[in-house]
Amino acid sequence: MIACLTPSERRIGLFLAVCLALLGLVMAAVGKQDPMAVHGFMALVLGGGLFFAIGGTLEEPAPDAARLHRYYDDPIKVGIVLAMLWGVFAMSIGLWVAGLMVWPDATFGKAWSSYGRLRPVHTTGVIFAFGGNALIATSFHVMQRTCRARLADQLSPWVVLIGYNLFLVWAVSGYLMGVTQSKEYAEPEWYADLWLVIVWLVYLVLYLRTLKRRAEPHIYVANWYYLAFIVVVAMLHIVNGLALPVSFAGAKSYPVFSGVQDAMVQWWYGHNAVAFFMTSGFLGMLYYYLPVRAQRPIFSYRLSIISFWGITFFYLWVGSHHLHYTALPTWVQNLGMTFSIMLLVPSWASAGNALATLNGAWHRVRDDATLRFMFVAAVFYGLSTFEGSFLAIRPVNALSHYTDWTVGHVHSGALGWLAMVTFGAFYSVIPQIWGRAGMYSPRLIEWHFWLALAGLLTYVFSLWNAGITQGLMWRTYNAAGTLNYSFIDSMEAMRPYYIARFLGGALFLAGICVGAVNIWLTIRGAQDVAGDRPFAPQVAE
Amino acid sequence: MSVSERDPVSGYATTGHDWNGIKELNSPIPRIVLWFLAVTHIYAVISWVLLPSWPLIDTHTTGLVGVDQKTAVATDIASADAARADWMSALATEDYDSLRANSDLMARAKVTAAAVFGQNCQVCHQKGGRGGPGFPGLSDDIWLWGGTAEQIETTLRHGINSPDPDTHFAPMPAFGRDGLLSRPEITTLTDYVMTLQKGVIAGDTSEGAVLFQANCVGCHGEDAKGVEGTGAQNLTDTDWLYGGDAATIRQTLLNGRQGVMPAWQNRLSDADIRMLALYVEGLSKGSGDAE
Amino acid sequence: MSLFKAHYNLEKHSVGFVVAIILAASVGGLVEIAPLFTIDETVETLPDMRVYTPLELAGRNIYIREGCYACHSQMIRTLRDEVERYGPYSLAAESQYDHPMLWGSKRTGPDIARLGGKYSDDWHVAHLTNPRAVVPTSIMPAYPWLATTSLAVNDLGAHLATLRTLGVPYTDAMIANAPRDALAQARPDSEAAADVVERYGEATTLRRFSGADELTEMDAVVAYLQVLGQLTQAPYTTETTP
Repeated sequence: MIACLTPSERRIGLFLAVCLALLGLVMAAVGKQDPMAVHGFMALVLGGGLFFAIGGTLEEPAPDAARLHRYYDDPIKVGIVLAMLWGVFAMSIGLWVAGLMVWPDATFGKAWSSYGRLRPVHTTGVIFAFGGNALIATSFHVMQRTCRARLADQLSPWVVLIGYNLFLVWAVSGYLMGVTQSKEYAEPEWYADLWLVIVWLVYLVLYLRTLKRRAEPHIYVANWYYLAFIVVVAMLHIVNGLALPVSFAGAKSYPVFSGVQDAMVQWWYGHNAVAFFMTSGFLGMLYYYLPVRAQRPIFSYRLSIISFWGITFFYLWVGSHHLHYTALPTWVQNLGMTFSIMLLVPSWASAGNALATLNGAWHRVRDDATLRFMFVAAVFYGLSTFEGSFLAIRPVNALSHYTDWTVGHVHSGALGWLAMVTFGAFYSVIPQIWGRAGMYSPRLIEWHFWLALAGLLTYVFSLWNAGITQGLMWRTYNAAGTLNYSFIDSMEAMRPYYIARFLGGALFLAGICVGAVNIWLTIRGAQDVAGDRPFAPQVAE
Repeated sequence: MSVSERDPVSGYATTGHDWNGIKELNSPIPRIVLWFLAVTHIYAVISWVLLPSWPLIDTHTTGLVGVDQKTAVATDIASADAARADWMSALATEDYDSLRANSDLMARAKVTAAAVFGQNCQVCHQKGGRGGPGFPGLSDDIWLWGGTAEQIETTLRHGINSPDPDTHFAPMPAFGRDGLLSRPEITTLTDYVMTLQKGVIAGDTSEGAVLFQANCVGCHGEDAKGVEGTGAQNLTDTDWLYGGDAATIRQTLLNGRQGVMPAWQNRLSDADIRMLALYVEGLSKGSGDAE
Repeated sequence: MSLFKAHYNLEKHSVGFVVAIILAASVGGLVEIAPLFTIDETVETLPDMRVYTPLELAGRNIYIREGCYACHSQMIRTLRDEVERYGPYSLAAESQYDHPMLWGSKRTGPDIARLGGKYSDDWHVAHLTNPRAVVPTSIMPAYPWLATTSLAVNDLGAHLATLRTLGVPYTDAMIANAPRDALAQARPDSEAAADVVERYGEATTLRRFSGADELTEMDAVVAYLQVLGQLTQAPYTTETTP
């Protein structure tokens, strides 16, 4: 893979590896007993490893010039493999924490294995590690194919991938050591946050440089969504991550905002991590792989415009619906609620656009599990966004908030939408970039599909029931006009639902394991001729 | 660039763009989307007119209806209180005998108190008041501070060893840690306390009995049966608050015990406290639900 | 439609498109977040509001480290059933010194905004060491290592100083004496204990929280749990007069 780098890219890469190793050395040296030192050591090892890997190839010949007339797919392959590894890991942790809610002592009795530390490993692992690597990998694929052009250079995709995964390893290992800012879905500490900003800028620049090479003057919708994902996530991450470290020699920092302002910033971030990471990015994925797989034109260009800008504008207003009836001023809550209702239109327009695109291809949905993954994803996208707007209505939220209904809602989005569309995209792209005629076993894709769907439904139905039961028990008044249940009563009532949730999670995990095996066997399989999209005749630079 | 073409399935023309095989139809926006858009926007505008919603520089719009959540919940609670006032106010004011005689009121108080007990008391005293190590059972008729509703109310209001100025105060000294007794004396005394189930033998001049006489009878009584209302427990039965095995007794003698029951008078209403007092009294008489 | 025409042109310019995304995405946050700093009534003024002592702050950091916020909220909403179950609804001012806030989003366990003073220290120690010893059906994790890990107090002054930079009113004396105060708060009979009260107010609780001789993380966590809802008495007096 390093052989694909030009000599000058190898020299820059070598320089970056040295910088990374030095950064790690400094962190390890100043951190001393602090967990930050462990992270410094990781960076040192990674930087050192890269230094030797690249250094050994400096004298090798430059890659042949014909490469410029091919797509650059190596980073995509690595990204997909990483996404699958993270996916299996993070969903296994998810199954463990689901188990802890039924068997709370199923730990090693050590601090690292307690629920509170494992839970962010699961959420970060699924959303940012599985989802993030899937987004980066597919965005590299989509940007090249829709532009009919090669990635702008060979080095920066690796900077993005390696840098992003170092961030993830820091994040996840940090939680286990107790390093966390406690801001949900933004737990990593200040140095990891800063590192991610750098990686993200490289990603944005790479995307824009590749777009510049495009053969078609218009930019395709999928790229709008990927761009919104990259740009807005950067905005959110920077504002929500503002923090002052206690010392530059340690991990602990204090966020600059406090109390009610911190709550608003946190959920402005939190809800838009859902919007721009889990929605926008994956809509980019859907907008490419669904029409390609269905072999149908997008149902409506104008609907694409309405939904894209509706999502980009409205979503940023709705974070306050996470804080209904709290100490956040009522006016912000009402704004959040009304915008949540308006947001439903562009959300459903996206889902509807995807489903209407399948008109004329329903026989493929029936026969092709890969396309069916994407179909189910679009359906669950529509259901989850409806549920989201519904839960944003203040009286509904009074019942649902703080309960497992919210957890069920998030999983209907994360399993039903995010994971399903990712599997559909992976099964579409893997044979193409590895040069295989198809996936190793279509039958295993069917198995994966039905396991995933069964797991998903078991999971969300059990938590819907759990949440509504919980919410109702908390507010049930008896004939005397007083509260009827203690909190402990409501907690004891959750047990059957938590067992069902565990089983649902187990099914879904079994599905992704089947998928991982199928992907592994496909990669190991024989080279074949695979259809790919034509490259532009000339590089448009 | 490909030119616009007509899609045979939908009948619409494409936009003419072609992204490496992906095309888009130039279909109009479905009417239902526009309707839906209009409806949600009308809903939003009406909400903004009626409710507090938009910020100004140092204030915000209050809306025509102007409901604030703090006023709303205060109103809710006030009307709920009014609806319960008939029996709740009686609970707060009438004496226990007349409350006990009012079976309708007692039925309401019992179901309410069971939930209040579950929400506040159960984590220490367990379901049905079974109790556990360090937290006395309430379902038996053994009481350190008295088991009538009046006495229970006092304990509930002010707590035991709590910061409340009128708290019950029961300091079992740390005989070992504070150097009141030597380690061998503690061992002797532990062994002696272990024998107390047989009762105090009059005229016992063993070393343990002498130590007991000198240090313990002031609270636990000459007969070691404790004194109700002092918090000193009976040492001659099998009911132990912290445990009656040698190791635990030794710990108690070494480090003392200052078990705390919080004062509830600032946390629960008068009616809540008094219905809990009746409920707990009932537990010990076997009329509570001893699940 | 001309809007579509404008878009038709916009989508040919990648940088212009990025700028448009930034503009569209900035409005919501600006309108909803900026006024929270300029509208005075957003955070109530409470004269008796105090800051966390170093020991309580250390406990709060352990609470964060162990991820307790994932299952416990600290935000009682303005709803009748919540007020009747947990106590007066939370005021914005109560978390004004909370960097970060810990309002939470899920109640796998109950809300604990008003937990301070509700149970005894002994109960908290027993419960944190093994929740099922006191609540048989509890699914809370056990935290036995808290009682065996000694509390790091040496850098607490730096923590207080950082928070002062962010606007929490810690005094020079509080920062200078942070480690000493942390120790003294759990040693009510020590000479330094009086200084803690002098610096942080009469309402400060001085107790041997964990009951052990060594100052452990258990002391810090219990001290923090016992101050929840007790930094000010305002919620208990203003409940019905909004």
